[in-house]
Amino acid sequence: MNTHGHERARNLIVLAGPEALSGADQAWLAAHVETCASCRAFAQNARETVQALRAIPIAAERSLVSTTQMRVRRRALELQRSRERLWLVSVSCTVVTLFALLSTFVLWRGFAWVGAQAQLAPSIWQVGFIVFCITPALVAGVLLLARDTHLADHTGSYQG
Amino acid sequence: MAQESTEIARGLRRRDPDLLDRLIEQYQHRLLRYLVYLTGRRELAEDLFQETWIRVLERGHQFNDKYAFSTWLFAVARNLAIDHMRRKQPASLDGLLNDDEAPLEVPATGQASAFDMSLRREQNEHIAAGMQHLPAEYREVLVLRFQEGMSLGEIAGVTLVPLGTVKSRIYRGLSALEPWLKGAPL
Repeated sequence: MNTHGHERARNLIVLAGPEALSGADQAWLAAHVETCASCRAFAQNARETVQALRAIPIAAERSLVSTTQMRVRRRALELQRSRERLWLVSVSCTVVTLFALLSTFVLWRGFAWVGAQAQLAPSIWQVGFIVFCITPALVAGVLLLARDTHLADHTGSYQG
Repeated sequence: MAQESTEIARGLRRRDPDLLDRLIEQYQHRLLRYLVYLTGRRELAEDLFQETWIRVLERGHQFNDKYAFSTWLFAVARNLAIDHMRRKQPASLDGLLNDDEAPLEVPATGQASAFDMSLRREQNEHIAAGMQHLPAEYREVLVLRFQEGMSLGEIAGVTLVPLGTVKSRIYRGLSALEPWLKGAPL
């Protein structure tokens, strides 16, 4: 028997498992093992090793399983809450955007009407419209800056 | 199997906690055994066991129901183990092998009641000891093949190596265990 024959036999012995060997391979292996003492011994050893491997008991403890289930449930709840929050934020953003568009349109028409009534040049009431729109944001920004400056001064005086 | 995978995929997309409870129960021993052999440490394996199920919950939508759930589950666990080792030391699965300070913790197989039982137990202990001397790559394929009963294709899917490499690792792993079967010193 050549080396290739032994190698093939050992490969088949090791790989015979969940996928059954083909009929031809099985027949060839049986014939080979019958005549080859070393491959027969190898097959026996492989069988015993696999049996021993399967017999090693490693089991998860009950506490590990219940802790894992609890952690998974808690995480699932967190994910669900964060998804709900995200949904709420998305809906709020959509509603705010729609209202902003609507109010901008209404205001624009309002300024145009007032400009027409007061017989103002369009550029004047348009500038007025822009100032009207950005004033709240500007005021809020200034107030926030003032508050931060005040807080920084206050904290600084405590630290100093 | 396909029907079962489809139902699991649907439940995972919904993040159904009852389904996850069931899956944890169903795969508890298999997953832990795989992780114990992969990492060589029971404590680390238990941590990774929990992390694996959290990851399954978070990434459940990525499960493709064309494959068996167990294949995907083991792949998730494997990736977590590798990530853990990379954080600890910049290495791959090689970092998991032959850590002398962390022996593979395998419980005793129970009380000997007869001579052959005792012999068998001894043999099992030899093999368990032999496993801890094997490179992690070999341990991994041996567990997947002979304890999980996975096909070669499934193992290749979990370990992300070609089929030929899986075959040679099984062959070399079993061959390396042979001296231990014959009673190499514990």
